[in-house]
Amino acid sequence: MNKQMLTGNVAAAWGARLAGIDYLPAFPISPQTEIIETVAEWIDTGVMDATMTTLDSEHSMLTAAGGAAATGVRVFTATSSQGLLYGMEMMYALAGWRVPLVLINVSRGLGAPITLEPDHNDVLAARDSGFLQLHCSTCQEILDSILIAFRLAEDKRIRLPVLVNLDGFYLSYTREPVIIPEPKEARDFVGPYDPGTVRFKADAPISEAVAVLGGEAYSYFRYEVQVAARKALEVYEEIAAEFQAAFGRSYDKIDAYRADGAEYLFLMIGSFATKAMDAVDQLRAAGWKIGLLRPRLLRPFPDRDLRILAAGRKGIAVVDQNLSFGRGGILHTEVTSSLYGQPGAPPVIAGFVGGLGGRDIAAEEFYQMAEDLKKACRKGVQPPMRLLYTAGELTAMRKLQTIAHAVRPEGGRDEKH
Amino acid sequence: MKSIDSSFQRPRDLPDIHILSSGTSICAGCGGLQAIHEILDILGLKTVTVNASGCMSLLSVYPFTPFSGSWLYTAMASAPAGAQGVRDALDRLLAKKRISSDEDMQVVVLSGDGSATGIGLSATSGAIDRRLDFIYICYDNEGYGNTGQQFSAGTPHGARTTTSRGEHGYCGYKKDLFSIWKANHPAYLATVSGAEPLDLARKIEKAKSIKGPSLIIAFSPCPTGWHFPPQESIEIGKLAIRTGVWPLKEYEDGKVVHTYMPARRLPVTEYLKKQGRFAHLFHPGNEYLIKEMQAELDAYWACVEKSVKSSETKE
Amino acid sequence: MYRIRFHGRGGQGMKMASHILGTAFFLAGFEVQDAPRFGAERRGAPIFAYVRAQRDPIKERGIISHPGLILVADESLVPMPAAGILDGVEKSSVLFLNSREDAATWKKRLNFPGKILAMDLIGADLNVPGGQRFFGAICAGAAAALVGVIPEDILLQAIEAELTHVEAEVIRENKTRALAAFQAMMEYSGIVKEGGGRQAAKFKKPEWIEVPFDEAGVSAPAIHGSRTSELMKTGAWRLRRPVINTSRCKGCWWVCSTFCPDSAIVAKDGRPHIDYDHCKGCMICMVQCSAHAITLVNEYEAEEADKSE
Repeated sequence: MNKQMLTGNVAAAWGARLAGIDYLPAFPISPQTEIIETVAEWIDTGVMDATMTTLDSEHSMLTAAGGAAATGVRVFTATSSQGLLYGMEMMYALAGWRVPLVLINVSRGLGAPITLEPDHNDVLAARDSGFLQLHCSTCQEILDSILIAFRLAEDKRIRLPVLVNLDGFYLSYTREPVIIPEPKEARDFVGPYDPGTVRFKADAPISEAVAVLGGEAYSYFRYEVQVAARKALEVYEEIAAEFQAAFGRSYDKIDAYRADGAEYLFLMIGSFATKAMDAVDQLRAAGWKIGLLRPRLLRPFPDRDLRILAAGRKGIAVVDQNLSFGRGGILHTEVTSSLYGQPGAPPVIAGFVGGLGGRDIAAEEFYQMAEDLKKACRKGVQPPMRLLYTAGELTAMRKLQTIAHAVRPEGGRDEKH
Repeated sequence: MKSIDSSFQRPRDLPDIHILSSGTSICAGCGGLQAIHEILDILGLKTVTVNASGCMSLLSVYPFTPFSGSWLYTAMASAPAGAQGVRDALDRLLAKKRISSDEDMQVVVLSGDGSATGIGLSATSGAIDRRLDFIYICYDNEGYGNTGQQFSAGTPHGARTTTSRGEHGYCGYKKDLFSIWKANHPAYLATVSGAEPLDLARKIEKAKSIKGPSLIIAFSPCPTGWHFPPQESIEIGKLAIRTGVWPLKEYEDGKVVHTYMPARRLPVTEYLKKQGRFAHLFHPGNEYLIKEMQAELDAYWACVEKSVKSSETKE
Repeated sequence: MYRIRFHGRGGQGMKMASHILGTAFFLAGFEVQDAPRFGAERRGAPIFAYVRAQRDPIKERGIISHPGLILVADESLVPMPAAGILDGVEKSSVLFLNSREDAATWKKRLNFPGKILAMDLIGADLNVPGGQRFFGAICAGAAAALVGVIPEDILLQAIEAELTHVEAEVIRENKTRALAAFQAMMEYSGIVKEGGGRQAAKFKKPEWIEVPFDEAGVSAPAIHGSRTSELMKTGAWRLRRPVINTSRCKGCWWVCSTFCPDSAIVAKDGRPHIDYDHCKGCMICMVQCSAHAITLVNEYEAEEADKSE
């Protein structure tokens, strides 16, 4: 067995290599760049046979990705944060083109203020684009998810681009032991790319991505993307089962950790979810009946799985590493709308927002979230959303503001805290 | 290198007070910062710097700024558009007498070569079309430095970067940003080097005095990405000029003038051998690459010398 | 779980230290996580990297807040608040310092709750050009001995696995140093113990607050005024400093002051003065001074000279 210490970025590069990609359009952006550097070196040294082209922007990069996929080759590309947003117009376009490709997003907080460390506002801004989304919490999962993602994207029933997400720093630059599948086994699993009839060929002219006029035709094409994306729920199940049979690792749509017999659940995506697992272990040791749900598949949203897993629980604490300004956590909205009115749905779904721009969520904060959830369940009242922020953090911020000469009006409100 | 009108005649005319302050998180020995600090000294206090993503994004990190003037961080693609908005608004405020002319500022774009030669070109082109009154400063470190030196359209042929690690280095050719601008009737263009501060000061002085779109391309040796010791930054700048790799020139009123003509150019190897990014060019089998570079330089300078001679005879 | 933090400066190989130790743990059969702390760090600026290792899969992530072992590549980092060397230390923490002073002196000075080990393992490399890149291997070797679960041959195997891009000679030099550090620390083998997790039965409540409303004039990420970066003492990045020999200086300040990228040479009364609070030690001024009036002095020697004055 080939098991090596790999960063999340290098694990992603291995995913591309094992999937036998033809084409990688690229544009550097931290913290993703190590992926394209790694593939570039493999191509330069002859260990990998693929074409890599550095484009002039992420918008161009995603357009090239779509163009290549529409022409009939297997395409892989990667970006982060500002780059994902700059290419966003083309994300909606490519899903509408119905071209299969795999895009890695290495999550990083969005500007302004511009920053380096992760949260999920970037990837969730792409939530409605038509790209399917897989969210990873370990370096192993990144590699494996890329193989699964190509299968999902290229499945004739689906043919939609798939985004695989990993957190900057916490995964991108963090090494963990990763099992690298045998190249032949990986190739057998992913299979050759069959573009079918949707591709450019001199003897079979085709006009792709054409315009429509009128809402009726428009609605048809958009609804078809919705229907295909929902279909992906069952197709994903088939692919994940095949993956498990081939490699022994199982990837449910929602990863449930120690959820059996749990009265309370945390719900999180991404690498911080492993911190929540740690908290679950400690809370269980202290007598709590608590577990964790970690949706891997966010688009399509696995409503049915969530309803089954949530049924009969006293409450869920949704921890969002993102913020929809003027509303709150995006996952919280998704979870509550998915569970509303469902038989056995937990009466309390508490919303917490934390971990923005890479801010840590301490073990003690998980314990406190559990206690707050329990208290709310006892009262039977949905608690107000909580933005995780401590008095110490505000004091430190006030010091910085003094240096920045940000003068607060008399009688600032901090004294109350 | 003479300029009768300039207030910078001798080295001691250079500013003795530096308006870009210390304490930034930019790498020790950064040739880009070195040039920028000389440029800002001449531009003075009344500037608003509109920044495109790049190494210099980290000049201002809350709550620390080295600027004595103002600053706006925009994005990688659109700094000239940000500059357009700032200039238009200042003009409106001036016209409506909501600010006095004392409160006006020079609008400056600060961008690396990655943005200037690639993702930012469209917004730049638009700003030139609109005759935007601004000075575009490109610190040219010949690659995407802030992400660890991948090749950009500003990378020279043959250089090793983290995305061109093969035996022959980068296969593309450095984009000629100067000529792209020149073809679009800018107000003023100049290449500068921090290693030639008098030449630089005169050009910035001139750019400041001319209305309309101006470009300053500053040679920016990068110890981290080009692989040389930080203390060599200025030396490498000087060698770039003496070997003819970095011509010092300006464009004004439809004419390009070389402000420094190397009397006896050093062989290009003198410049190449100091930098790790070119070390592979000295490996057996790559001799042709160095020959090509030398031939290209010789052709460029032969052309420059010819045009100088012909204009002298005309006069 | 073993929780280990390596503190050094950009360019001293702390990422390499974490990779060597991480791979050594991995080869010894442990589950491992290792990472450098990236950010806006530059050569000379304080940086750290960390390693977690245990027999079971690791769920903890991010910066190690409660380290079992802290290794400091270079003692000059200790007084720098930005280095955060003492962050989260506990009674069970072990601190290893590369230092010319002894452990007792440091114990008293730092009021450190745990054990301190001090030894100068870097002295021979400190002032040799390029010597600092070996600090990583040295620190990894010391750490491997202190945890007591990594045999010598696995340490060497890990170095080979991590240094695939360099010449054989460099690998050999790294091995020699790591081994010397390993052997020097063997008398303390096993002094570092695995730490537990944070207890949920009894925990310190986080001091959460409601985020206050601040008007945009306060809450926008804007810096009012100028030159606040002078508060950043980037002089701490420096291990060597330029010193002006006033008798040789011809007073042509426009050379050194103009060429200094960091505005750290100021002209006063026609003479250049180096601002050591901010000079990053790039030494451009030394190379460019035509009168050869600027010389290189190692930082600790300069500081010792300052103290004795």
